[in-house]
Amino acid sequence: MSLLEVSSLTKRFGGLLALDDVSLTVEENEIRGLIGPNGAGKSTLFKNIAGFHKPTKGAIAFQGQSIVGQKPHTIAEMGIVRTFQETTLFQELTVFDNALVGTHMTAKTDVFSAILGLDKAVQRRARKKVMEVLDFMGLADRKDQLASELPLGSQRALALSVALVSGPKLMLMDEPFAGMNAEETNHMMDLTRKVRETGVTIVLVEHDMKAVMGLCSYLTVLNFGQVLAEGTPDEVRNNENVIEAYLSGAK
Amino acid sequence: MSDQGRFNLRHAALGAALLVIVVSVPHFLKFHHQDLLIFLTINVLVVCSYRLVTLTGEWSLIHAVMLGVGAYAATLSHNHLGLEIWFTLPLAGLTGALVAALLCFPLLRMTQFYFLIGSFAAGEAIRLIWVEWVSVFGGTSGLRGVEAPVVWGIDFLDPIPYYYFCLAVVTLCLLILYRIENSRIGLTLHAIHWKAALAESVGVDAWKYRALAFIIGSFFAAIAGGLKIHYLGSVTPNQFTIGFMVFILIWVIVGGYNKFYGPIIGVVVLTIFDESIREFEIVRPAIYGGMLILSILFLPLGLESIPSKFRSWFGAGSTPSEPPLTDR
Amino acid sequence: MDLVLQSIVNGLIQGGFYSLFAIGLVLIFGVMRVVNFAHGELVMVGAFTIWVVHAQFGIGYIPAIAVAIVLVTVIGLLMERVLFRPTRADPLAGLICSIGVLFILQVIATLVGGDGPSKQVPPPYHGTLVLFEMIRIPYQRVFSLVVSAAALGGLWFFLTRSKFGWALRAVAMDREVAALQGINTNKISIVAISVGAALAGLAGGLVAPLGNINPHMGHNVIVTAFIVTIVGGVGSLSGAILAAILYAMFHTFVTVYFGATIATIAGLTLMVVVLIVKPTGIMGVKVSE
Ligand SMILES: Nc1ncnc2c1ncn2[C@@H]1O[C@H](COP(=O)(O)OP(=O)(O)O)[C@@H](O)[C@H]1O
Ligand SMILES: [Mg+2]
Repeated sequence: MSLLEVSSLTKRFGGLLALDDVSLTVEENEIRGLIGPNGAGKSTLFKNIAGFHKPTKGAIAFQGQSIVGQKPHTIAEMGIVRTFQETTLFQELTVFDNALVGTHMTAKTDVFSAILGLDKAVQRRARKKVMEVLDFMGLADRKDQLASELPLGSQRALALSVALVSGPKLMLMDEPFAGMNAEETNHMMDLTRKVRETGVTIVLVEHDMKAVMGLCSYLTVLNFGQVLAEGTPDEVRNNENVIEAYLSGAK
Repeated sequence: MSDQGRFNLRHAALGAALLVIVVSVPHFLKFHHQDLLIFLTINVLVVCSYRLVTLTGEWSLIHAVMLGVGAYAATLSHNHLGLEIWFTLPLAGLTGALVAALLCFPLLRMTQFYFLIGSFAAGEAIRLIWVEWVSVFGGTSGLRGVEAPVVWGIDFLDPIPYYYFCLAVVTLCLLILYRIENSRIGLTLHAIHWKAALAESVGVDAWKYRALAFIIGSFFAAIAGGLKIHYLGSVTPNQFTIGFMVFILIWVIVGGYNKFYGPIIGVVVLTIFDESIREFEIVRPAIYGGMLILSILFLPLGLESIPSKFRSWFGAGSTPSEPPLTDR
Repeated sequence: MDLVLQSIVNGLIQGGFYSLFAIGLVLIFGVMRVVNFAHGELVMVGAFTIWVVHAQFGIGYIPAIAVAIVLVTVIGLLMERVLFRPTRADPLAGLICSIGVLFILQVIATLVGGDGPSKQVPPPYHGTLVLFEMIRIPYQRVFSLVVSAAALGGLWFFLTRSKFGWALRAVAMDREVAALQGINTNKISIVAISVGAALAGLAGGLVAPLGNINPHMGHNVIVTAFIVTIVGGVGSLSGAILAAILYAMFHTFVTVYFGATIATIAGLTLMVVVLIVKPTGIMGVKVSE
């Protein structure tokens, strides 16, 4: 059984077919690349998997269990966490508190425990976990800064930390490298690999080909809402349909 | 949050001074001002409970009516079941929480503008039910007969004992509200305010937390309503109009809603101010209106932000810098 | 049967009023994203102006209406310039400011009119129109029906035929797109508030001889305007008119058979139901976030 199985997924926005009969499977602990020109439907696919949109048709199974129609928080509880295309953080909270929100699922509390302080042990564990992840991501010495005060590279690392600290099984990363310089990209690639090594499966949407080719062992190419090609980076690079799609869509 | 539980000598001194003031103040006041002090104490609870509702970023216009729900619940349970204030208050709170829980289903499907208008409509409808259903709620002239008890020879209708009683209840409630805000629940509410989608992506059930804030806020509002009505002795639908709601908004906004103590500053300062312009009875609302406008235009973070503004003007401490978007 | 027909006619007249102020609220919200809580007070100022200018100073009813329209429009323009424009980034701030204005206008009205009982303006038109020997409409109401219909017609003409009207609708539908097309949002805001305030002033002028005038009469106006706006669809002018007429009929009928308070409770409930079932209203477009 594959970790994630998407079959015949269709998403229609009014007259627009954003996803047209998309099927793909993701295996445990791989870094899957999902590429395609702008508007191909990559983000839409993520939103459908993570429950932010409801598919028009089709099935999505995670660990063999259907997740279509579930709310985002329920899907997160099952172990799928997405990151957002634009840098999305709690800008007005500190770095530490941002990541602390990420521990929600393991450190939830009820009103009475909160008032009486009965959840101290749980919260202490959550803080510890946050510090571990911030250390891991190289953000520990910035933990008291506001998220909005961070440079772009660190903001992206923080967004990844928020997702990571929630302990996902599958992480959907939407263009985490966009707008980064070479150095930041290298750093982010290292971080992504390290995340994979902790046992997390990753689906990566990215335009930065260096990052995609360097990280992913298997790619899926989307174009106009359809799967155009699948294969190893080399196979995809030499696929005629892909070349054509990218050339005709080139800016 | 990360700075929870920090405690030092300055805070201790401040707390002690505050305690001495609030305990001794009724003895220096005239009878009329003692009344006022009681209402001020109750209104502190009103604004703080309202702030909890606004933490998720939604502004409701039903809070005043929730006071009314508590007030009617207290009056009815006192008049018909013969319950004393020790029981009517919790009952009032629970009734408020229950009504809020039921209202969650329609109201929390909306956000922002729609929530604002929806909560206004729901509140107005509840208020009109009190007006219309005369046999239970007494119509426009309301209900009377509720009062505070006499215990061990202490008459709680006297302003000073009742003030201490209010002070105790309100302090307990504020403590609870403060604990909630500074717990993980508070953090989650803030997170929902700033980026609901991100919070949901890591497993936060935003609807549930918004409901929680609304229900807890209404619980304490209803308790405040009960406290008020046991002192006033009668309840009418006109005590909980949009007019009163506007006062709550003014207190919270003028005080500043970003900090726990902002609304408290707002209600205390404005109540004192209000008393000092008593002789201009007719124009009082206009003065309020003008102040509301001025504070929105010139002091959007409220009175609470004045000290830090001062500090930055005179160069002491660090000026809050514009956050850079990137380093490059 | 008589009662039903009579109620339909009364509802229609009432619907004309409702349209006048609900449309203003829709325009101002559509263009500026401000919920103008003081809109009911604008109607109140209009009515008070009639009381002062017509009933106290004895100037003709029609010129008094003109004065009311001008005065209320000026107040609206001041609100736009001093309050709504500086707070445009924060819609809540605009709403709070309008609450401030609400208080100020009420106090001014109290100062002008004294603290006594509600004022009355004797109707300038006497007599009753009798239709088919069973429907009776006082000429005063005939007048207000004709004038509000004419005003709405004029507005429709303005919105569909003039360049400003077109730009205004464009901004109300989508501010960003309109800005991209080079429409000057400040100018359009001025037009929107002028039209909205003028209609409120006119509504006040028309309602003055028909009921009680007091500084707090704006409350019922704003409650009605909210209901009509939500039911009609927040961004929709035609929706507002349709909802105004339907709601007026509804309110009139429920009032006849069950009483006014029940009618308002039913209206508020209807509004919450619409908010839940179809938040865009019966004819609404989606408000961009
Ligand atoms: N909420 C939406 N409503 C309507 N159309 C949408 C919505 N979200 C995305 N689309 C459309 O769906 C298509 C796919 O978009 P998207 O998934 O963002 O592409 P990608 O991430 O591959 O660049 C685009 O044409 C986009 O305009
Ligand atoms: Mg995308």
